[in-house]
Amino acid sequence: MSIHVPGLYPWPFDGDLRPENTALIVIDMQVDFCGEGGWVHSLGVDVANTRRAIKPIARLLETLRPLGYFIIHTREGHRPDLSDLPANKAWRSAQQTGKGIGAKGPLGRFLVRGEPNWDIVPELAPAEGEIIIDKSGKGSFHGTDLEAILRLKGIRNLILTGVTTDCCVQSTLRDANDRGFECILLEDCCGAGTQDHHDRQIEIFRIMDGLYGSVAMSDDLISALEVTS
Amino acid sequence: MTTRPCTFPQIASRPYNWPFDGQFSPNDTALIIIDMQIDFCGQDGWCAQCQGDPMPMAAVIEPTRRLLEAMRAAGFWVVHTREGHREDLSDLAENKRWRSARFNAEIGTLGPCGRMLTRGAPGWEIVPELTPLEGEPVVDKPGKGSFYATDLEHILRTRGIRNLIFAGVTTDCCVHTTMRDANDRGFECMLIEDCCAATLPHNHASIMSFTQMGHGIFGTVAHSDALIAAIS
Repeated sequence: MSIHVPGLYPWPFDGDLRPENTALIVIDMQVDFCGEGGWVHSLGVDVANTRRAIKPIARLLETLRPLGYFIIHTREGHRPDLSDLPANKAWRSAQQTGKGIGAKGPLGRFLVRGEPNWDIVPELAPAEGEIIIDKSGKGSFHGTDLEAILRLKGIRNLILTGVTTDCCVQSTLRDANDRGFECILLEDCCGAGTQDHHDRQIEIFRIMDGLYGSVAMSDDLISALEVTS
Repeated sequence: MTTRPCTFPQIASRPYNWPFDGQFSPNDTALIIIDMQIDFCGQDGWCAQCQGDPMPMAAVIEPTRRLLEAMRAAGFWVVHTREGHREDLSDLAENKRWRSARFNAEIGTLGPCGRMLTRGAPGWEIVPELTPLEGEPVVDKPGKGSFYATDLEHILRTRGIRNLIFAGVTTDCCVHTTMRDANDRGFECMLIEDCCAATLPHNHASIMSFTQMGHGIFGTVAHSDALIAAIS
């Protein structure tokens, strides 16, 4: 049976949407990006722009978990010795406040693995058996085992959510598309530091009616699955 | 061989002077020119067949040629990339083929410049003004990014390159995918704003804005005049 989620184009392109070949990726929904006392908050960004994704993602998780979809969470963060932190990334991060990656913030060291601020927000805590990918960059493929896990599991379709739309979500979606994965971005399940950048990113994804994949709202996906279940 | 200064001072760029840690030289810096192919810049190329306007891309050929000549004269290494698929299309993802077919411009089928986005076809060639010289590597890639399924990272590391200067097309697609992937790998990147273009100018502008957020989260943006003046 063929299923299509309405959106930029009916997704997936061939209608082959099943829990066995489809994964949800929740990108970097960490306190450092979405919470008070986290990294992004320390830069003066209004975290309401990233927190807006929490409720829609929570609802999506509730829908997809009982149906058996494969769920993956990612976290951006560095080793405590910062051996995986490029010198230019370290330098840039310290320019605004003097406190860059690895410096002590209100909750712990910014963007360092194991710190409370590096954790995923409690509303979206990974369930047992769900995969967590720790990455040092914006994209989720470089320096990780994400591709190996997806191939072993037989995943072909990826549903992308998380933060930020213009940074880690976009890098991961582009890298996934080059690898042949059929991607959909759920617009209401993402957020950027500014609404303007979120909107501009969605606009870029609209070129050629989906050069990198499709774009839809989470309701579109949930409705399509309910009709068929 | 003439003697010339082997290092150059930082370039005026936004949001910081590049590279972040001071000087650069032909020993540690390369120019990468992305996908300046007839399929993207030509009136009869693949992009035009997809109803995209190739004029903005054609317009950056001349400034890119000027930059290329200045970089070559100063002794810098130049890497060229080409997007295109094997003749048997064994590296073409089914969804990419399907998406292109919706525009009646299916990758691998015959267009006015030969098989579209297919290696060896006339439309897949780099525009004559920017023809690679002997000793300048050409990286053939099946996707938007230039690192995936290629030896780009290997050749850059082997040569000791750590700074990358970006030109080419399209800004919002292959150029930025490659710049993002380079940045994640620790390369210090600078995008030359007048030597890259997108089919839609507002998307080009958005990429300039994304690049500069977070004090240069992906690197910096500069005009070719500043770079050419510094190395000439």
